[in-house]
Amino acid sequence: MSVGYVAIQWSRHKRIYDAAAAVGAVLFVGAWVITGKLMWRGEHALSDEVLILRGLGSCAIVLLHVILAIGPLARLDRRFLPVLYNRRHLGVMTFLIGLAHAALAVGYYHGFGVVSPLVSLLTSNTNVASLREFPFEWLGVGALAILFLMAATSHDFWLRNLGARAWKRLHMLVYIAYGLLVGHVALGAVQTDRGGAYVWAVGVGMVVLTALHVAAAWREAPIDAGRASATPNEAWLDVGSIDEIPMDRARLVAAAGGERIAVFRHKDGFSAVTNVCAHQGGPLGEGKVIDGCITCPWHGWQYKPGDGCSPPPFTEKIATYQVRVIGGRVQVDPKANPAGTPVTPATPMGGEGGHA
Amino acid sequence: MSDPIARLLIAALGLYAAVGGVVAAWFLVRGSRRMDAGVRTASVWFKLLIAPGLAALWPWVVARAGSKATQDDSHDA
Repeated sequence: MSVGYVAIQWSRHKRIYDAAAAVGAVLFVGAWVITGKLMWRGEHALSDEVLILRGLGSCAIVLLHVILAIGPLARLDRRFLPVLYNRRHLGVMTFLIGLAHAALAVGYYHGFGVVSPLVSLLTSNTNVASLREFPFEWLGVGALAILFLMAATSHDFWLRNLGARAWKRLHMLVYIAYGLLVGHVALGAVQTDRGGAYVWAVGVGMVVLTALHVAAAWREAPIDAGRASATPNEAWLDVGSIDEIPMDRARLVAAAGGERIAVFRHKDGFSAVTNVCAHQGGPLGEGKVIDGCITCPWHGWQYKPGDGCSPPPFTEKIATYQVRVIGGRVQVDPKANPAGTPVTPATPMGGEGGHA
Repeated sequence: MSDPIARLLIAALGLYAAVGGVVAAWFLVRGSRRMDAGVRTASVWFKLLIAPGLAALWPWVVARAGSKATQDDSHDA
């Protein structure tokens, strides 16, 4: 959290995560090259350079699929949350692998002529009017540029200085990069007569990703439906019975026209905070209470349930809400308190939690 | 894409990157005092990590530094 900048906020968890991802990437490319050598022999044999650059490219797009799948998977099943925790490092790794693929490809296919390799890359195929013959290399360049921009602005410095909304919008460009890469792989496979396996593979990947996003949205639809049915003047929102909120976990409820509210059960009381983490807008309600603090599932930012303040020496604050328990049901006032406002946790015996 | 357009595009990108490199170096040495004091005390590794982004988004860096300077001047007045 925000007490001075450090290059990389390493932790044991992140080191293991990054090491596993790096080893996985090396094994993937190695397996790709070995399989390629076994599959294509004799006159069909491919050079080591081509096998490696295709292995790197395939590794990058597989990693991008993983990155895009982590979000909806974590929403569908909490066991995926640890994978979500360090997703930015995975994104930087994807860019570096994509960059290695691009450098090898430009060097191998465009580096031996009299024309500059970059000029050759842009001018060797000019069939822009044909969908089938469209220069697939340009799509790869566009995707790589977006991945670079995302990797270059992945540090919290950028989040703080660009602002959460602008930073989030910038990083939503990943979906455009994904679309460009799907086109890059599919057109590249078609134009180089590598068969339909690549096209089928990216097609299956697209279907799986779409299904995961739709499933995650469908699962959250009841929360949004609750928001739609609530009226702006509604004083208290019903969250559920006290038994429906697991210990140290939250249940979500949506205010009319407002953001989601996460109502946590901790010790003997119930506390409510905004569902939006001050860091990157992560879903606090999908996190849990660790060491007495609500912990964001995305990057581990923490807030005290009673006042929405990060524990010292950190200074972040989020909005809190009044909570009450009436007849065994937990209710929350949808009017947000200013960030950092202390609210006494509501208890079944004590009723409404008021300002502390 | 024709050869002259490709060369022009690459030259323009090279110029953009060169200006970005200068702006990034300026920001890390002096400009960060105005925009984000946390950068000044940060490690060299941190500065190297944010340098590519500073170079890529240099128009934003220049605009942000300009607006900060204007604010500082109005406070001093």
